[in-house]
Amino acid sequence: MDIDSFLRDPTSRRRFFRMSGLSVAGGSAMLLAACSDDTKNPVAGPDDSDLADVEILNGALDLELMAVAAYKAGAGRLSGDALQLGKAFLEQEQEHADGLAAAIRDAGGMPNRAKSSYDFPVLRSQADVLRFALELENTAIAAYIDALPKLSPGELRATSAAIITNEAEHVSLLLDALGREPVPSAFVTGRET
Amino acid sequence: MDPIRRGRTADRIAIADGAADSSEIAAFERDRRELLRRGFTLGGAAIAASSIPLLLSVRNAFARATGDGAVLDSAITIERVSVIAYDTVIAGGLLSPGLTRVARRFRSHEQEHATTLTTALTDLGGTPPEAPDGVGAVDDVVEGLGDVASQADVLSFLIELETATVAAYFDAHANFVEPRLLQTGASIMANEGQHLVVLRKAAGQNPIPNAFETGAE
Repeated sequence: MDIDSFLRDPTSRRRFFRMSGLSVAGGSAMLLAACSDDTKNPVAGPDDSDLADVEILNGALDLELMAVAAYKAGAGRLSGDALQLGKAFLEQEQEHADGLAAAIRDAGGMPNRAKSSYDFPVLRSQADVLRFALELENTAIAAYIDALPKLSPGELRATSAAIITNEAEHVSLLLDALGREPVPSAFVTGRET
Repeated sequence: MDPIRRGRTADRIAIADGAADSSEIAAFERDRRELLRRGFTLGGAAIAASSIPLLLSVRNAFARATGDGAVLDSAITIERVSVIAYDTVIAGGLLSPGLTRVARRFRSHEQEHATTLTTALTDLGGTPPEAPDGVGAVDDVVEGLGDVASQADVLSFLIELETATVAAYFDAHANFVEPRLLQTGASIMANEGQHLVVLRKAAGQNPIPNAFETGAE
């Protein structure tokens, strides 16, 4: 499937993100693990909250690992400043993945591993890669924001907000590289078009 | 150390308005050195160390705030201060026409944040804080606005202000209780990060120096 069809077709996007541990409903992305509404269960014990954290963080890790694979796959179509951006984003997504894996182990869980392959849309040009990357980054932001209240209070929430902010920074640079307004809204939700 | 694994947020904040124990002082010194090492400059000189306790005391207000109302109170104040700061630099005429347009846009974003947060606070039954007292209130967050003399100075100042704001929201995320506020706070913090990208690029800096944008690296 080419990138235009992918970006136009919500069913294709849903299928694609579900394969990487995400569900996409009503135009928004949601970590699968976050679908059980833990915020309505304030009496959950510490073991339960660790378990919930591990599930949510593994959903985020799946997405970060997919982003790493996407930037590696797309690098061949990039050049000049766009290539430098792609490399920088790749490194930062890998840092997120490493941090999430460490947090999952700290909570007593087993980090998910990268899939052996991802069924990315066909990326024929630099613009295709940038537009696909923009879709991935926005999806990640929406997923993290949906999951944020389901994480245990404290450092995990704060660090997730720090990752969301970094993904939003990537979005700005991708928009700029595509010749669009880099800061289109006062509120970043991942659902901006 | 991995940001996710390092100490809990409650241990990070540096300076207290009242008595401080030794761990808080040690943390303050660490944060102060971090800030100095980051080389925040204004007119070629390092920001005075005396400004840093002020900046940290704003963060402290976020970190020590208990309950959503108190966190919102601090957030509204810092957003209003940012509006004043942007108004001041726009009126100062040191920015190019292009960057003046950017500053106007960012100023409107800060105003939108303040308005939304004020609505959230009143929805919770709270009373909005008093309006900040002019340019002097900006000094309570980051000193030096009155000393800027070039576009580079203005950009350095705004980068420091936005960084302090990101740091404050980072701390706030450990304290917000209401899910909707957590999410709104994250979407605002992310927007401040996007401001930083544009400002850093304009200043010739690496626009994305931190994979974890905590405002403290």
